[in-house]
Amino acid sequence: MISMIRMRLGGFVWTARAVPPLAAGLVALVVLHGRAGAEATEAYGVSAVVLFPILAWQTKLLLDTEPDTQRRLVVVAAGRRAEFVGGLLAAGLVGLALVPVALAVPWLVGGVAVPDRPGEVGTGLAIGLWAHLLALPAAVGLGALASRAAVTRPLYGVMILICGVAGTFVFGLEESVVPWLAPPVLAVARASTAGPTGTEFALLTGHALLWSALVIAGYVGLRQRRA
Amino acid sequence: MWQSPLVRLDRVWLRYRYRGPWILRDVELELGPGRSAVVLGHEGVGKSTLLQLVAGVLRPTRGTVRDRPATIGWVPERFPADQPHTVHRYLTAMGSIRGLSGSDLVATVDDWMERLDLEPYRDVRLSALPRETAQKVGLAQALLQPPDLLILDEPWEGFDEATRELIPELIEEVREDGGAVLVSDHRGETDRLPDAEQWTIADGLVSVVFPTAAEGAEAEGVSVIELAVPTFRVAGVVADLRAAGHQVLRVRSVDPSAETTGPAAEAVETEETPTVGSADAAAGAPGEVPAGTTGRAAAAGSAPAVGATSPTHAVPAGSAGARGVDPGAAGSGAPGTAGESAPRAGGPARAGTPAGPTGADATTPPGPSSVTGAAPGAGVASRAGG
Repeated sequence: MISMIRMRLGGFVWTARAVPPLAAGLVALVVLHGRAGAEATEAYGVSAVVLFPILAWQTKLLLDTEPDTQRRLVVVAAGRRAEFVGGLLAAGLVGLALVPVALAVPWLVGGVAVPDRPGEVGTGLAIGLWAHLLALPAAVGLGALASRAAVTRPLYGVMILICGVAGTFVFGLEESVVPWLAPPVLAVARASTAGPTGTEFALLTGHALLWSALVIAGYVGLRQRRA
Repeated sequence: MWQSPLVRLDRVWLRYRYRGPWILRDVELELGPGRSAVVLGHEGVGKSTLLQLVAGVLRPTRGTVRDRPATIGWVPERFPADQPHTVHRYLTAMGSIRGLSGSDLVATVDDWMERLDLEPYRDVRLSALPRETAQKVGLAQALLQPPDLLILDEPWEGFDEATRELIPELIEEVREDGGAVLVSDHRGETDRLPDAEQWTIADGLVSVVFPTAAEGAEAEGVSVIELAVPTFRVAGVVADLRAAGHQVLRVRSVDPSAETTGPAAEAVETEETPTVGSADAAAGAPGEVPAGTTGRAAAAGSAPAVGATSPTHAVPAGSAGARGVDPGAAGSGAPGTAGESAPRAGGPARAGTPAGPTGADATTPPGPSSVTGAAPGAGVASRAGG
């Protein structure tokens, strides 16, 4: 499994496909937080929202890096389940690598006002980490669902990605009557800003994980049909 | 002694999309340990699909593939060279994915790189490799762990000559270790694997020719079948026959003026009445055969084609239109039964040798032609005029 993940990550980096989402993420964070001077919890909630489409796009790029026939060779060598678990783990690791960057950038560009009490820094970082970690599996699931391995035509992949991101933002609005249709990225941002209660924390975590699980199950289902 | 199958396809159907055309229909096959089989058929007929089904890359729409072995080596028709890895790094990664590690991994990768002459390309990126060299990397990755089942998709298509010569040796090594080998071939190179079973695909149906060609020819002899073929279809029919593993002995044109004369009736009679060993039947003009041409293809003895659902049909030696010949003579392209009275159509196209289908194009002049072929298999696909 480790060699499979390493091979995928190597291909992703050596083909320079890792650069566009990284650059886009950095630009978005800098523009968003530059001299904003907001509270850490609010800044991180917004970061997670901005990073969600970038993480999904990054996942699609990573999974699309490997030629189809190479993916099939790995299926023959290691088994179908190991192949797609390896792909998802590789995408998760690459996404995870962006989280510390997203947590650090607001501080570097003056996006976060230095709190009066030192304990608020730790709280802000913890809530920020929670917000990003909830966005990650949903973004990986959406990106996987849009990857070439899951869809029959490249256009379908792009449409899934665009509609998924748009749906996340539209259905995630506070006035939405069907917020459960989308991952709770906006809801987590709102909760982060206000400071999440224990119930909110549990409900939003459960919602995000359930949504991610369903999307990944959809990906697995599509992969069962396609080689 | 019968050995249990290494892999078995039970009533397998496959299509790529809902309501799409069936690529494979009701396929029942099995391949035992130590055996090899060649899948024959046109380009695009479903050979690679069948191989990928057996490899586990594709899942059947209906039916099941059972008893698939744990270690399968699959060499695709085109190795995916569009990757940034160097040869050594790629093979090391694939070896590791296959479960090799430590000194075993290093030694195995080095061994295969040396054996396949990949050492000079050790640190070259796959995307920078010549196509034939990249294909050898594909072969190496399939053999890093001794496979229980080796699947080679058109192995005579993308390799250099040295590797093409090496492939039968590699296949033999896998078989000696108790593994099975499945090969696809549309170039008519089955003579490189003389004891392999032959599976033919046409219209989604797979027929298995039993016994193997060599055994069949030795045990039952070879027969010659005359076929009447419209001239414009000669190349296609020759290609069909060769793809099905039969030997096309010669292609000759027929004097159109003879169509209304006596030999025509003789030729027609030959189609209906066994004329075993007759030499003059081949001279018969097509006469009432609408195509205006005649031809012969040879089929081996009496073993019927396995797989009744196939569009092919078995032609036992001595049955209508078939004449037994000496296997050796048929193989050499000199069956001793060729009709000499009809004008030659540029001579036989590598008669008796399963050359590429293009061989017929070069030897087929405009105008009526006939096809004469020898088939050492147990069944003959006879679609002349069809």
